[in-house]
Amino acid sequence: MRANRLEQTVIHIIFFLFACICLIPFAVLISASLTSESAIIQNGYSIWPSVFSAESYRFLLKEPMMILNAYGISIFVTVLGTAVSLIMMTLLAYPISRKDLPFRNVIAFIIFFTMLFNGGLVPTYLMYTNVFEIKNTLTAYLVPGLLVSAFFVILIRTFFTMNIPSEVIESAKIDGAGEFRIFYGIVLPLSKPVLGAVGIFQIINYWNDWFNGLIYITDNKLHSIQVMLNTILLNSQYLMTNVQAADNMVEAGDIPSHGLKMAIAVIGVIPILITYPFFQKYFAKGLTVGAVKG
Amino acid sequence: MKAMANGSTLKRAMKFKMLYIMLIPGIAYLLINNYVPMLGMIIAFKDINFAKGILGSDWVGFKNFEYLFKTADAYIITRNTILYNLVFIVVNLVVAVALAILLNEMKNRFFSRFYQSVVLLPYLISSVIIGYLVFSLLSAETGLMNKTILPWLGIDPVMWYSEPGFWPYILTFVKIWSTAGYLCIIYFAAVVGIDQEYYEAATLDGANKFQQILKITIPLITPVIVIMTLMQIGRIFYSDFGLFYQVTLDSGVLLPTTNVIDTYVYRSLLRNGDIGMSSAAGLYQSVVGFIIILASNYAVKKINPDNSLF
Amino acid sequence: MFKKMGTTVLALTMTASLMLAGCGKSNEPANNGQSGAGEGGLLPYEINMVFYGPPQKDLDEIAAEMSKITKEKINATVKLVRIEPAAWAEQSILMLTGNEQVDLIVTGGGDYSRQVAQGQLVALDDLLQKHGQGISKAFEPDVLGASKVNGQTYAIPTNRDFASHPLVLMRQDMLDKYKLDISNIKTIDDLDPIFKVIHENEPNVNVLGKASAAASIANRLLETRWDVLSDYIGVLPNLDELKVVNLYETPEYADMLNTIRRWYLAGYIHKDAATSKETAVDYIKANIGFSVINKGKPGAVGQTENRVDTKLASVDIGSQITSTTSITSIMLGIPTNSKDTDRAMMFLNLLYSDPDLINLINWGIEGKHYVKVGDSSIDFPPGVDASNSGFNLRQGWMFGNQLLSYTWATDVPNLWQEMDKYNREAKKSIAMGFTYNPIPVKTELAAITNVTRQYAMGLETGTIDPEANLPKFIAALKAAGIDKVVAEKQKQLDEWAKNK
Repeated sequence: MRANRLEQTVIHIIFFLFACICLIPFAVLISASLTSESAIIQNGYSIWPSVFSAESYRFLLKEPMMILNAYGISIFVTVLGTAVSLIMMTLLAYPISRKDLPFRNVIAFIIFFTMLFNGGLVPTYLMYTNVFEIKNTLTAYLVPGLLVSAFFVILIRTFFTMNIPSEVIESAKIDGAGEFRIFYGIVLPLSKPVLGAVGIFQIINYWNDWFNGLIYITDNKLHSIQVMLNTILLNSQYLMTNVQAADNMVEAGDIPSHGLKMAIAVIGVIPILITYPFFQKYFAKGLTVGAVKG
Repeated sequence: MKAMANGSTLKRAMKFKMLYIMLIPGIAYLLINNYVPMLGMIIAFKDINFAKGILGSDWVGFKNFEYLFKTADAYIITRNTILYNLVFIVVNLVVAVALAILLNEMKNRFFSRFYQSVVLLPYLISSVIIGYLVFSLLSAETGLMNKTILPWLGIDPVMWYSEPGFWPYILTFVKIWSTAGYLCIIYFAAVVGIDQEYYEAATLDGANKFQQILKITIPLITPVIVIMTLMQIGRIFYSDFGLFYQVTLDSGVLLPTTNVIDTYVYRSLLRNGDIGMSSAAGLYQSVVGFIIILASNYAVKKINPDNSLF
Repeated sequence: MFKKMGTTVLALTMTASLMLAGCGKSNEPANNGQSGAGEGGLLPYEINMVFYGPPQKDLDEIAAEMSKITKEKINATVKLVRIEPAAWAEQSILMLTGNEQVDLIVTGGGDYSRQVAQGQLVALDDLLQKHGQGISKAFEPDVLGASKVNGQTYAIPTNRDFASHPLVLMRQDMLDKYKLDISNIKTIDDLDPIFKVIHENEPNVNVLGKASAAASIANRLLETRWDVLSDYIGVLPNLDELKVVNLYETPEYADMLNTIRRWYLAGYIHKDAATSKETAVDYIKANIGFSVINKGKPGAVGQTENRVDTKLASVDIGSQITSTTSITSIMLGIPTNSKDTDRAMMFLNLLYSDPDLINLINWGIEGKHYVKVGDSSIDFPPGVDASNSGFNLRQGWMFGNQLLSYTWATDVPNLWQEMDKYNREAKKSIAMGFTYNPIPVKTELAAITNVTRQYAMGLETGTIDPEANLPKFIAALKAAGIDKVVAEKQKQLDEWAKNK
């Protein structure tokens, strides 16, 4: 009993330290977003604002409709994208997890191969814009690159092979259940843990994606929150690499301040922070279900 | 004989019609999203002229690849890319698996859940912001290190952004900081998925915690470890662009220890924006990565066929 | 084995057919049909103009107003396609690879030579003859000719400041406070006594800052002293002589680095200068800066004073020069993706000759985004300022003939006359009109870029010691093939001079 308490204490200390390492930068982030600009330039960053100022947020919230619209787009894309991609990836992973399926290795290889080779930006862009005409549509956030990831398909497949005994499937077959019925009625209910985990990662991926926006969206009414925020950040990066444009554009004096950059990061991260515990509940529940029945 | 074998396979395959139908949406997507654009690899061998069209442009053989091997840089960037990734893979693996096992041992459910959220946090912020955060620590004049911590320890200020020697450690630390939590969650899911009966049986046999971890937990999550590791090995010739570009603030002086293939290609293309040369770099990375992963998969298969990817 | 091959073949066939479907379409040549370009009856057409800049709420309204003018004059409407600066590098490449309709695009510098080499821009000479009288009138012939590649014009420079000279800006209040005399400053080496006094009395002040985030301390001096021949890799040290040299091997460069290093060691330059995005203007604004070495042009001092909100003293340390590089850095070109190149040229011509059109895109709509406060001087309407204006793009340097537009109230009213005079009086490089084609040495340039990236910023901000690192820098450049690049440039330059 004593050993056990000691053990728990050690574990708590380790995690407390690790949590501090994870959290301190966030404290700096939030503090900087609430510090006045000249204080940052003079004193540098700190964990607590040296001179308090909400100017950055006031600037960002000057046009609340723009931010709300961008949030709306991000939420829509994240929810729909995660749902569709989970369905498609599970449908791919299940058949190749079945040891009795002919050609399963070939199919697995076809899927896996996509992780290694890609045609590059230009051909992908040409196909999506010329054949599918997705430029400046919400489809551009959903489809290119993100919908099916070979990595997750293999993760799900491994879960199926490890956790769903073939005897269960065999007995269902003997009872006369069709393949789809087995998948829907038996396999899916058993797969909550892995679907929960992959679901969370897909939510993060969809929420944080801005590359598709950079490439396929030029209309800023269609900007998702990440595209909007990253654009503000990278516009100043552009000035770092392009002397000529910088010379001319500084006349407009549009380089975002330190506090603003940090406020941008805070605004982009907060929704995930709020929703994560909610999803985590399901995540944890799914994990327990898997543990009991697995 | 062969014909018969083929016939019976096809007949057998027919029984799995439904399973094949399930595959259709996903495979169709991969064909469109991944395989069709692969045709674009021919750009790497062309002197692109849009007046002639992509297919009509002149073939130039391997000329677009030359710049990659032009100078001693080729050696430095290859070495840096592979060494960094090896270190990242190993350290991340150790840290993440250890954290996952410890997390599973934690009895207090509230704290367990709290830590699960916290360790994932760093994974959520973009590399641009990570760059700013690192700068807030390491800035020569206003950073936390030079302003507060080093004077407190009685050490002279360090010009972090002009000392290449420190960066392998800094970058490894930042990388672990940002991804170990993410990997930890994946391994944690695998650890939680282990049947409690194994542990109960082991406890009856008198095995202590450490033995249980060594003999039960680790072997049972090995398939997940192998997959995760193989995936990362497959990307060993790619590097986290944001980490090496944004976090180093693109500081030129640091290049000897921070230049990797992606940043090299990016900087080169910044000047001439040639899509032939960028395609060549992409193809080179793909081919090398492909060879490396085939070799490692082969090795895994030799040791334990169940753990291999395909 | 056979089983496996069967499926592989099946999969490959499927893939290939899809590929062909995809590619057949994507490689459809852009239709350059001269629809309705005949005299008299022009068919309606929408002109897509692609440029970069920060978002503007009323951009569509501006386009509608511009369309009213163009509808009447050339029966075309205007669509303004604004791209975020962050996305410009990708979009300017991607938009021209497909068959998206782009009728006018902002180009210049390295983008320009790449687009010409890849056949993405239309040769404009014939179109200029047909529809470009307004353009020809706006320029001196050698300025307009500066963008020629192999005798053909592929883009038109925007009419703005073409020349610049080096100057030092210093805070007047500090100069007064310490009673410093700046009348004797002739070169940068005369600055030391002043810097010393400021540094000793104001220890928190960064005495000298960078002119822009991307520019080293030395950058402005290099740019305003030599003809950098588009990329600094091979420059003309003497504006009267067709002799290309390796900039980094010149004694002048070494001297400049020593001066900067001396300042850095003395504490005049911020220790983070090589990586920091902060400019001298940011420092002065935050009251922790003193001076900057910048390039000057008419109106520059006043504009900087407005940004930092304090009086600045300026000392010119050279006279203005002009070169192909400074002229061709911002231009407008017609891509081969245009569906009606004639109409695009007619519109381009209006951008160089129609003040109403130019004022719309430079300043917005009168009464809404600006009001007139003088003959040609304008200011914000009551209640409107930079933070709430629906259109405050201020990128007149990007759209045609800036010299035809109004001037802002904070500038002198005759700014454009001064600018024109300044441009004309600038010392012209002997290589003016020569555009260098980097394609034959692009392999070397790719390697050189990485070398300069490693050393130049550190050396030119004083962060690393030139004594040890300049020789290393030069050796690395040689290994990367700089001599070949310099020789190629010299060859192209000689050929150009022969055919001039």
